[in-house]
Amino acid sequence: MLIINCPYCGPRDQSEFSNGGEAHVKRPDGSKEIGDREWGEYVFIRANPKGLFYERWVHTHGCRKWFNCVRDTSTDEILVTYKLYEKKPNLNNFKSVVKTPSGEPEVGSGNFTVEK
Amino acid sequence: MKSINLKENQFIQFHQKISFKFDGVKYFGYKGDTIASALLRNNVNLVGRSFKYHRPRGIYTCGIEEPNALVQIISEYSEPNTRATIKKIYEGMEIESQNRWPSLENDFGSINNLFSPIFTAGFYYKTFMGPHKKFWKNLYEPLIRRAAGLGKPPKDFKGISNHIHHNVDITIIGGGLNGLLAAKSFINSNYDVLLIDFEEQLGGIINNSNKISSIDNKEPKDWLKETIQEIEDSKNIKILKNTLVTTYNYINHLIAIEDRFVGSKPIEGKVNSTLHKIRTGHTILCNGHIERFLSFQNNDLPGIMLSSSFEKYMCRYGLAPSKEPVIFSNNSNSNSLVYSLIKAGLKPKAYIDSRSGEEIEPNLFDLIRKNDVPLYTNSQIKGAFGNKKIEKILVEDSSGALNEIKCDCLCLSGGINPDVHLFTQSKGLLDWDEKDLTYKPSKPFQPTITLGSASGQFNFDNLNSDINEKLKTFKVKKLDVKLELNTNAKYNIEKLWEVSPQKKSLWAKSFIDLQNDVTTKDIRQAITEGFDRIEHLKRYTTNSMGTDQGKISSINALGIVSDLLDKKVNEVGTTIYRPPYAPLSFSAIAGRNCYEFYDPERKSPIHNWHLKNGAIFEDVGQWKRPWYFQINKDESMHDAVQRESKNVRENAGILDGSTLGKIEIKGEDALEFMNLIYTNSFTKMKQGSARYALMLGEDGMVKDDGIICKISDQHFIATTTTGGAATVLGCMEEYAQTEWPNLKVFMNSITEQYATFNISGPKTREIMKKAFPNINFSNEEFPFMTFQFHEFNGVPIRILRASFTGELGYEIYIPSNSAPKIWDNIQSVGKEFGLAPYGTEAMHLLRAEKGYIIVGQDTDGSITPIDLGLSWMIGKSKKDFLGKRSLTRSDTIREDRKQLVGIIPSNKTDKLEEGQHIILDKEIKSPVPMLGHITSCYYSPTLGHDFALAVIKNGHSMIGTKAYASTSSMGTTGVDIVKPVFYDEGNKRLVS
Repeated sequence: MLIINCPYCGPRDQSEFSNGGEAHVKRPDGSKEIGDREWGEYVFIRANPKGLFYERWVHTHGCRKWFNCVRDTSTDEILVTYKLYEKKPNLNNFKSVVKTPSGEPEVGSGNFTVEK
Repeated sequence: MKSINLKENQFIQFHQKISFKFDGVKYFGYKGDTIASALLRNNVNLVGRSFKYHRPRGIYTCGIEEPNALVQIISEYSEPNTRATIKKIYEGMEIESQNRWPSLENDFGSINNLFSPIFTAGFYYKTFMGPHKKFWKNLYEPLIRRAAGLGKPPKDFKGISNHIHHNVDITIIGGGLNGLLAAKSFINSNYDVLLIDFEEQLGGIINNSNKISSIDNKEPKDWLKETIQEIEDSKNIKILKNTLVTTYNYINHLIAIEDRFVGSKPIEGKVNSTLHKIRTGHTILCNGHIERFLSFQNNDLPGIMLSSSFEKYMCRYGLAPSKEPVIFSNNSNSNSLVYSLIKAGLKPKAYIDSRSGEEIEPNLFDLIRKNDVPLYTNSQIKGAFGNKKIEKILVEDSSGALNEIKCDCLCLSGGINPDVHLFTQSKGLLDWDEKDLTYKPSKPFQPTITLGSASGQFNFDNLNSDINEKLKTFKVKKLDVKLELNTNAKYNIEKLWEVSPQKKSLWAKSFIDLQNDVTTKDIRQAITEGFDRIEHLKRYTTNSMGTDQGKISSINALGIVSDLLDKKVNEVGTTIYRPPYAPLSFSAIAGRNCYEFYDPERKSPIHNWHLKNGAIFEDVGQWKRPWYFQINKDESMHDAVQRESKNVRENAGILDGSTLGKIEIKGEDALEFMNLIYTNSFTKMKQGSARYALMLGEDGMVKDDGIICKISDQHFIATTTTGGAATVLGCMEEYAQTEWPNLKVFMNSITEQYATFNISGPKTREIMKKAFPNINFSNEEFPFMTFQFHEFNGVPIRILRASFTGELGYEIYIPSNSAPKIWDNIQSVGKEFGLAPYGTEAMHLLRAEKGYIIVGQDTDGSITPIDLGLSWMIGKSKKDFLGKRSLTRSDTIREDRKQLVGIIPSNKTDKLEEGQHIILDKEIKSPVPMLGHITSCYYSPTLGHDFALAVIKNGHSMIGTKAYASTSSMGTTGVDIVKPVFYDEGNKRLVS
């Protein structure tokens, strides 16, 4: 179980939170003409990278506030959490300590006996 | 195997006899015995039958790694697959062996051993394929299921357990020598420390072997006692005994299970086990090592045991399982067993070592020579033989000659492995040590420290410097412990994984996994068949997939595979070590979250009245709602629903609608916000009026519906479906925070603050007048879809004129605490008008007659408002609302979308059924093109026949045509497709 640092309440157990998928996806302005492709991408398409990822979470069983974070999807490490209106941090500021421990070695499998 | 009790032992109370039953026979053990040690004391060596071949099996180890000695504890909720080597006995304990019929001695299933040449790797996959796929479901699977498994699943729920959370700086796992030394360093420091050990007594190797002769010039026993006392006295260290860490998660989150009834029968109703959830800053792994076995023919016979386990039985249980065991080893770890035996006045029948004379430790040599123990160097055991127990072994000596040795016990040592399970669960990296022939922890992924043999330090010479170096960051005082050993030797091992059998035979078996009956031959065959990746091989052969997870054998398998593939072991890699480390019961995971605590039950303020008045309840989300009311015990559900529905149409009915979600929305920009959330436009709506509204997802599909009351442009109250309340509030909050933070609006759930009564039927106005005499309910003063605030006997109430049944109706909103009183009052004044309560089923019937949908029943997340024929509810002039743009997506404007229609049987006496497919042709010729299906279906007391709502392709344009409804159980029924309104199409009754 992860510990997530709610920007309003402080560090809490993951079970208090719900995940909201990719962050910084802008909703097209409804007052303007929106093309099928643009709208379709907003509704259906989300990134799913292995590595650093901007992500939304909500403190469901707490303050019920939404916030953003940067999570390394390969290690599950949450590197920083920030409020919705705060500027998104530059991903170059973060470095994974071990490169993709969930990465599949060429031989064997899960226990990464061969360091990449 | 004939055992003897040793003279004295600090852990076994020889004066306290305990009786227990094994397979119905009464035996005696002593206080402190495990099932295994007590059985060995009674010379019971055959304790179970193996998984696949039903071979006789005995006790192989003396700890958690045990693959064979699994038993069923009859006296404890019939708990299956309990390791006899760790479960302590108590007076009156009843134990049964597993996987045998009719008895352990004469097991019918052992016939499998005769057929074993065909039960090879992948047997099931290859064999049970034909002649028809039905054979699997109806014949093979039931047969295999009956034969599979070891213990029988218990019928009763295991006793209760609870959960405890810890938040500490440091967790030390393992209270052996290194764990105690680490804990000693933290005595009276500023760190919160948790020391966890699986056993009742701390001490590990100090208790389990005679390896150490003195610590700080003291007897190890005395040093241990003093150290434990010091640690216990330290206020910052907490010790958890009888607690096994099973799981090492991300962010140093550990799960451990504590047995609360070690050595005594669990008391019913008391907490049997505690699940500890530990969040720690650093984890120090001191969980030691596990000895591995060796593969040769019949290496599974009862009487064969690991050498360190034999020594543990001597040291911990005051018991030598045999007076003269033969020892077979390829490493120096078994030295201390020889020492222990001789110290106890016993001696090995023979010592066989695969290493050459030069490699064997000089002091072991001296010990063996001095005591005239037959020594075979450069030798190997080719096989063990005997009937249900080991009787003799065949030794190939350095000259290649075969020697037969009669014996009743054989101790094996194939080397030792650091117990890396937890380290790898934490995602730490391992590395193969070519000298010590094992995987050792190399790079931790989390703040994890490994000490002692868990880190691969099999010698004691760097004890102080290693601990001091690794604990440097904590700035604790340095250790300087003086250690003297009895067997002064460096760990030394020669590569040996398997000895091939003397005679080639289809029946010769060298096991590589004892619990799952995997032989070395299976491994060879799997590789020949192409399963040469270790994960494939594991699944194909089921190697190391038992409850012991191959603790004593999985590394051997890697060794064999690396030789076969001619690859380095590091290149073969290991399979993933997954939690839990050892099985833990579901009841421990569930903790107190079971029965009534599993999912909270929500009850309306009127619940007690419902109970007294014959309500049968249905679950709607977490809510308990009256489904229908029985006037007497004999009334069937159908009769009750028909009676209730009829009464609403003829007189009046009252429904407890308190479970409907209610959300209050307030703020300067509330109007704009509501216009964005719902499809309808609320701008021109008058204050004090109400509107049926739809909420869509961004994909344009109907997500929820409800009635919106507009108190002012700055204040709305929305109702939601019972099940959708939390989702709708969550959605509103999400959009208010993430998309439109500029809007000044707040929302809050008021579901439980207000009870709701829905009264409807032609006589409703009379009842309302009588119940609330000060209010004018005339059509002019109180028109349809308006609401008014009033005070009744000092209670503020809100009355909304709306209806879900198609009759004249009112909804009354009352603060929950005052609701039961007003409910009772309405009941008593309504009596003369025939007012009767109705449940959700009658409500569903009545609303379906009007064609009102239920979100989630008539819609399924793929239905737009247009599909429902509710285009009039879309505020087309609005620039934006949730899902607006999606209503013109290419998919949502398709003509052949499924659309809501009504269905009635062409022959009025025919029956319909929910879920029936609507098809075009009467004749069934597969594949049958499916138009859609029936979503709601009832028998209408008003119409006198069945009717249904359905979603069918291009339904709107099919109205007026004929089709068929079909299920395999009811056959094919001719139906008419009609408009989805069956009653009062002009809504005259609503506005009357």
